[in-house]
Amino acid sequence: MNELQSIIFGALTGSSFALIALGVSLTWGFLKVINISHFGLVLIGSYLTFQVATSTGMDPIATVVVTAPAMFVLGATIQWVFERFQVSELNSLLIGYGLLIIIIQVVQNTWSADFQRMDPSLNPYFTRSIAIGQLRFPVATLLAAGFAIALVLVAHFVLEKTYAGRALQAFGQDRQIAGAFGIDHRLLGILLAGTIGASGAIAGMLYALGQTLSPDAPFEWIGRVFAIVILGGIGNVTGTLYAGLLVGAVSGIVAFIWSASVAPLVVFSLVVLALIFRPQGLFLRKGGH
Amino acid sequence: MKDRGWLVLTVAAIGMLALPFLRDQFGFPVFYLVFLSGVLFWTAQATSWNILSGYSGYFSFGQGAFFGVGVYSVAFFFARRGLSWWVGVLLGGLLSMLLALILGTIAFRLRQLRGEIFALLTLAIPFILAAVVRLSRTIDGGQGVGIPVPSYPDMIGPFQHFYFVLSALVALIALALAYGMQRTRYGWALFAIHDDEQVAEGLGVPTFRYKMIAIAVTGLLGGLSGAVFALNLGHVSPEGTFNLRVPLFAIVMSALGGRRHWAGPMVGALYIYTLQNRLSAAGFEGWSLIVLGAILISLILFAPDGLMSRFTRRPWTVTAVLVGVLVAMTALGTGLIIDRLAVALLVAAVTAFLPRRATADTRPPETARGLSGLEQDPGGDEARPPELGRPLVSVADVTKSFGGVRALAGVSITVSEGELVGLVGPNGSGKTTLVNVISGTLRPTSGSITVAGFDIAGLQPHRISHLGLARTYQIPRPFPTLTVRDNVAIAIMFGREPRGLYSSREAADEHLAMVGLAELAHAYPPGINLHERQLLEMARAIATRPKVLLLDEALAGLNPVEIDNAVAVVRRIHRSGVAIVLVEHLLRVVNQLSTRIIVLDQGLLLAEGEPAEVLKDPAVVATYLGKQPHA
Repeated sequence: MNELQSIIFGALTGSSFALIALGVSLTWGFLKVINISHFGLVLIGSYLTFQVATSTGMDPIATVVVTAPAMFVLGATIQWVFERFQVSELNSLLIGYGLLIIIIQVVQNTWSADFQRMDPSLNPYFTRSIAIGQLRFPVATLLAAGFAIALVLVAHFVLEKTYAGRALQAFGQDRQIAGAFGIDHRLLGILLAGTIGASGAIAGMLYALGQTLSPDAPFEWIGRVFAIVILGGIGNVTGTLYAGLLVGAVSGIVAFIWSASVAPLVVFSLVVLALIFRPQGLFLRKGGH
Repeated sequence: MKDRGWLVLTVAAIGMLALPFLRDQFGFPVFYLVFLSGVLFWTAQATSWNILSGYSGYFSFGQGAFFGVGVYSVAFFFARRGLSWWVGVLLGGLLSMLLALILGTIAFRLRQLRGEIFALLTLAIPFILAAVVRLSRTIDGGQGVGIPVPSYPDMIGPFQHFYFVLSALVALIALALAYGMQRTRYGWALFAIHDDEQVAEGLGVPTFRYKMIAIAVTGLLGGLSGAVFALNLGHVSPEGTFNLRVPLFAIVMSALGGRRHWAGPMVGALYIYTLQNRLSAAGFEGWSLIVLGAILISLILFAPDGLMSRFTRRPWTVTAVLVGVLVAMTALGTGLIIDRLAVALLVAAVTAFLPRRATADTRPPETARGLSGLEQDPGGDEARPPELGRPLVSVADVTKSFGGVRALAGVSITVSEGELVGLVGPNGSGKTTLVNVISGTLRPTSGSITVAGFDIAGLQPHRISHLGLARTYQIPRPFPTLTVRDNVAIAIMFGREPRGLYSSREAADEHLAMVGLAELAHAYPPGINLHERQLLEMARAIATRPKVLLLDEALAGLNPVEIDNAVAVVRRIHRSGVAIVLVEHLLRVVNQLSTRIIVLDQGLLLAEGEPAEVLKDPAVVATYLGKQPHA
């Protein structure tokens, strides 16, 4: 039964990373921006949740009312700068990195380099767990996975079924042509980046529910998140979710059978193989090439 | 004078290596040597990164892997196995180079490898290595490895001296390689790959080989430098080694200093290391990443070329300011030497960014350019048919399918010496596809093609170029970061008989004169107009000394005056003894120039023969003008 437990637990953890990966994947696929600063927004989101919950006694989940709009504005502003200066894909990577180290330093100067964790009385989700049959899962992990999966499905629905989503897809394929057909790409791009920023705030909140916070956390996320982005296919929403589940489940089972330190070996070997044999991602989109 | 750089490097090398021995005479604290060792370590890492990623444009996050292989070679061979420290260092460099070559073989063999995919591939490697090191008890096992102090000759003095000498040696090797590459074909091949790999290959640059050389040098230097660094550490761990610190700093330093200049990464390393050092010394440790990030962002937004390109525009002013500030502060006795250095560096950077006095535009006025560079072509229309010779290109029953679409459906043509073949046909008839399969850009689905008697099946485009085949692109694709003259010089450097940079530049001027672009030799392609870019395409193509030249719609989008000029150039190239295949829509031009016309329609050969006859052929007329009911 323990194998099952570790696979499911791994997949649940992986799906919450898929939420961060979704932000990176969408900006890359649709806006042609490799947005490393997204990790910074998630970091700020997690610390803001910690701060707001600690100082006001608000339920940590409710803090997204504050953090999501804040990260919406930040994400949209960054995209505005990218648009304003017509930054190339490669340079967006460098600027994103510059922003990320600034954010990490600001977080560290504000909340110190020490580990931070919400007081258990404020964060009931951290300690509780739920038994499903013989399996037990921490509430924080279940919540994170639930939110992540729901948001990915919403993103999928919006992109496939709404006018704005269709316009974004057109924009992702060819900016100039989409512009010529009356799509206001700048506004659309800024709105998308803002929404992705807000999703980063939610990802940060979920992280704060179940983990201790440290300013260096983004450097731990980058590898796994990019693995999910590549395996899922750049700009592929549902692919990102599947890849998150896959990476999580593989890490879980490898950690169970062998050791947790083997997991990156397996995951990144998978990434290298995927890049060589299926650079478009493991999961083909319908109508994709 | 041409190789002043070698002199500077040699003097710098001697000065550097003498520094520890002069310490007793001058009595400066050992702290300065430690500081300089830091600058030198980062110079080596950033220069190593820059040779692959700056020169050739293949952006790598794998620097941590090369660095880490070096670190763990010393940990394993020196600390664990008890071999000499220098064996560990050398093996570090070699193993890292081996890793680089394996990575290159896999990555550069991939068809349609995109830059981002390469970047992500290299991002994954350090994670894999870290896991291996953590797992293997023989290498590390997760506990870290202690590194003893190596034994070295007593005459060198304290360990800091020894470490400084080693760091200086590695940095100097890195700089010498970067400098040497920039001065020779190795660097120029990479610059061409950076700008447009496909075009470079078509001009005769063996792109795969040069990418492998670049990644091997990067791996070697990254490994050597990491190995030397490990000697200084005392203790190494997988977490402290295979992280993103090394690649990210190397990237920031190279971006700051300039990715196109051999000294750029060194300048970047000097600035960033000094600045960080001073910030933490002044108690602003909590600000160092903020300052670093802000510098990176503002540079990318406002000066993506980096500091070095600004310095080289006004070298004497910058040097004078640098020295002036140092001398003035020393005379006044303000601060430590490092403080003075930091202030001088900042002032020099500000000077470099001051707006320049407006200089007169060196470009000749619009009317005087290009067109007037040509004497009127005296030949007019009485072009005698040149002597026809042996066949140069034979296309035999070639088909090319894209998915279910047949772009070419069994085409056979021959082009012989002295011919000027007009290749015409409506849009989608397969003209450009035919050009692409002959030049090796596309592989035919079936059929065979020979160029100068050699079957080109399986030949890479640069080999086909060396057989004597050149092409131009419908939409001109000059290398944007090279001058007009260097665009042509590249083609000469990598021709059948390779030549050096300087003689290629001189030879390039002849080809520019042939197309009438001599006056624009020092302009950059983004600054010249479409017609001039098309002429540049032709100059670059003839610089490979082709026997056959494929001109793919070289006159598209030109006004009537420009067309006349281009026609004169094409005729001149033809008279110089080059057979030409001219893909063109303008029947007037084709009729005027061609010795023979080939008409394609829907991937099939529709007609072939003398211009006058072919253009009267009812089938050709129908294809071009549409079928007329009882005209």
